[in-house]
Amino acid sequence: MTTRVLYVLAIVFGLHLCCAAKTVEERFYEQLVLKPNHDGTVTSSFSFTTLIKDGRPRDPRTLGKEDESQHYTLFPLALGQILRDNAITELHLSLNAGKWDYLNWGYPEEDGVGTGAELWAWMAEGGPVTVDERWGNLRNALAGLFCASLGSLDEQRTTSPALTFQPEGDLPAFSSSHQLRHATLPSEHVCTENLTPFLKLLPCKSLSGIASLLNPHRLFDADWHGMGVHVRFLDHAGIEVRLSFQAVHNPVRYASDNRRDWSLRSLFDHTIEQSCPVASSSQIRVDLPRSTAAIITEPEPTARDDAVAVYDVRQLNGSLNVAMRWPDETSFEYPLGASSSPLAHMTVRRTLKGSDQYKGHLSVVITNHLMSELQTSYLETMPWLLQFYLHSLRVEHDGVSRDDLVSIVSYTPPVPHARPALLQTLLTLPPNSTLRLTMDVVKPFLRYTEHPPDAQRGWDLPPAVLMPLARDASAGGRVRRVYTPVLLVDLATPDFSMPYNVIIMSCTLIALIFGSVFNLLTRKFVAVSLRPPPPAQRVEHM
Amino acid sequence: MDYDVAFPGLIVTRLLLAFAPLPDSLIHDHQLSTPLTSYPRLLEGLYLFRHGVDPYSGGLFRHSPLLLSLFSTALPLNRFTAALIWTASDAAAAWALVHTWRARQQVKGKTSRDSLIAAVYLLNPYILLPSLALSTSSFENTALLLSVMFAVQAQTSLSLLLLAIGTHLALTSWLYLPPLALLCLTTPVSYLASPRPLPFSSNEITRKLGTLATEYSAYLLALAGAATIVAGGVGWLDKTWGAVFTLPDLSPNVGLWWYFFTEMFDHFRPFFLMVFSIHLAVYPIPLVVKFQHDLLYAVYILTGILATFKPYPSIADAGLFVSMSVLFPETYQYLRTPFPTFLIHLHSSLLLPLFHHLWLGSGTGNANFFYASTLVWGIGMGLGVGDAVWAGLLTGIKGRFKNDADEQEWEITQE
Repeated sequence: MTTRVLYVLAIVFGLHLCCAAKTVEERFYEQLVLKPNHDGTVTSSFSFTTLIKDGRPRDPRTLGKEDESQHYTLFPLALGQILRDNAITELHLSLNAGKWDYLNWGYPEEDGVGTGAELWAWMAEGGPVTVDERWGNLRNALAGLFCASLGSLDEQRTTSPALTFQPEGDLPAFSSSHQLRHATLPSEHVCTENLTPFLKLLPCKSLSGIASLLNPHRLFDADWHGMGVHVRFLDHAGIEVRLSFQAVHNPVRYASDNRRDWSLRSLFDHTIEQSCPVASSSQIRVDLPRSTAAIITEPEPTARDDAVAVYDVRQLNGSLNVAMRWPDETSFEYPLGASSSPLAHMTVRRTLKGSDQYKGHLSVVITNHLMSELQTSYLETMPWLLQFYLHSLRVEHDGVSRDDLVSIVSYTPPVPHARPALLQTLLTLPPNSTLRLTMDVVKPFLRYTEHPPDAQRGWDLPPAVLMPLARDASAGGRVRRVYTPVLLVDLATPDFSMPYNVIIMSCTLIALIFGSVFNLLTRKFVAVSLRPPPPAQRVEHM
Repeated sequence: MDYDVAFPGLIVTRLLLAFAPLPDSLIHDHQLSTPLTSYPRLLEGLYLFRHGVDPYSGGLFRHSPLLLSLFSTALPLNRFTAALIWTASDAAAAWALVHTWRARQQVKGKTSRDSLIAAVYLLNPYILLPSLALSTSSFENTALLLSVMFAVQAQTSLSLLLLAIGTHLALTSWLYLPPLALLCLTTPVSYLASPRPLPFSSNEITRKLGTLATEYSAYLLALAGAATIVAGGVGWLDKTWGAVFTLPDLSPNVGLWWYFFTEMFDHFRPFFLMVFSIHLAVYPIPLVVKFQHDLLYAVYILTGILATFKPYPSIADAGLFVSMSVLFPETYQYLRTPFPTFLIHLHSSLLLPLFHHLWLGSGTGNANFFYASTLVWGIGMGLGVGDAVWAGLLTGIKGRFKNDADEQEWEITQE
């Protein structure tokens, strides 16, 4: 008996020691921003932030040694292990479906809205494992964690576009410098199998709090939807993990009476029944449209002003179902014509022209909506499936050739079967006008084993990323990234049933020609007499 | 027509064609230029070179660094200068061909065949079209023909230097070394009708060939050194010469490699690349042995074999074989199948662009269409080469008959 008490005491004491040695303070914040757009859609942006106070990214030079033990209560352990194992300082993963409409929906809360998967990470150099090896481990680990084909983000898609993808947090002052790795997979599609592991990373899963609205049936039915994982290090705060989900719903599509009224129940088929007990803050913010006569009905917001209404989910009594109505509208009229005040600085249209399967023409049309000149960076991270003829790059403004408006910052040419191209340029957009960039492109020919199963469908090409260098006041002076829609390139296909036939036919022809030449060169010439009838055939050797 | 009138006339015609408004698609055409000789790729390389990007860090540019330095300094490349440069190159090649003919006939001045020879080169569609498409294979042909001309004029060093330049531009040209080196040492006069062994002992041959091979290697090394200095590293080696062995770019062409290695199973690729590369090296020595009495003829046969089997052939390589045939009128009567060969060439010249367009342009045909027409092209080339070998050897046999009556009585065949 005494031994057992001592034993228990020892365990308790040991546990106490261990916890005293490592008390980590963690915080969890959740927020949902609902924004009705003028085209009748509603943008909902979920963000779930976990902060490890005074946490620091791992120094890659300690990778060979045993890591200091990590104890998390709120911070997602599965993600934390991946970050520690690969000494990742900053990480951004997004999985999106649909085309973000900057003109109607404005800038998104989270910048990464490119179609498909996008992964980028800042890592410190040094230590026993190279940056590229850690990048490989990272994408494989994340592929396993999120059930996505991130393993295909290999060196054929990896670039380092440091001009556009600056770290969002701070970089710790290790003795070695940091490096960026970035890759996109535009054909990757986000679906329920990605959302389930995503929800598992949340402290309250989808059982309570704002996360209980994350109903896959409604989210993946939205016009646009995408999830993101963002890890960054803030020097004076710690390590922050932000899980985000954005969706653009179209209430008009759901409504039987063609009205754009919406509520949490109509958008997500759920209401919030209870708050997440571990959340330090839990807010729903509703942007109030100014131009239209919209009212928010039941329940009263915790706080509101002209532009925004805020609900504090922690002070929840009963269920919460935020709703917005347009009482004066009998049916929603889709706004035709351009909006008087565009929601984005510029619009970009990128198209691939030409019907040939071995060459084409890339055209980028950028319209500056500002009344002032706008500087923007323009980034292409193009797999070798499309190769640029950079010498044919032409810039046209109002029908006049203006090659001075583009300056190439850096260019890494693609290597077939190995490496994508990286083109970073700076563009100057004259006020309130349209700039046209055109460039000839080459479509390469692939080995038959390199084609995907449905080869005739073509290949999705990653979006171009533009970064208007005008500060966006609404985003706290931060620079925005603008993604173009993805492209589809039609590459020439060989006949997939032919390998044996080709080997047989080509080899036959080669053997035939070789054989006839070899024959002529080696066999002896003889003259045979044609005089009839010889007593005995005479053969004269020559 | 008099050569003094005809030759300038031909060049002016050629120049006018170069300045004619030709469709832009010509320079992108896969039959006329390959990834190793394409003009837009050359422009891209020059652009990158001028803007401080190593053109050999990518996979698009596969031309020699020497072309890079030539066109970025001495000869700025634009539509006007390009027309002049390519015409000048063709003119030089035609001139070399005429002088090769004169040396072979042991004539110092003009001959009646000069104009015909120049015309056969300058108006040969297989030569003209790639040249109008500004394919750098024109330079390769010119280098080889000049090398042949210097060889028959017994200017050994110049010949080897030109061959080294040709090799530098297109690595497979090194296979011309055995016949060309021996051609420098022997007479260019036609001995096709009266075969005789090489007038040297085997020791002598080994010694002399060794000296020439050393000289050639020295030129080649010097050019490679210069190229390394221009390119700022040895990265160009893998992208230009390496491409001949590893076939990284599978753009379609008239040759036999591209579809074979598109369809090849990955684990057999290195093996077949090796087999195809070694196969090319099988030919020069037997040809030299068999045609030791007339090494120019061995060079001629070799152009045909390389045009059929080299990794990145264009129709310019076949054009060289066709145009060189004009140097050997004595063999014409012994050709077995000149007309079928001509018809097959005509047939495939129509099929190739048609099926190329059906596959890659309009999208109504598939890759097999174009592959099939390259096979037809291959058959045409094989037939032409085989016939040329036959006729060359038969000239020697028939030459022994004293008169036509004898010829009527004997049928020549092989055991």
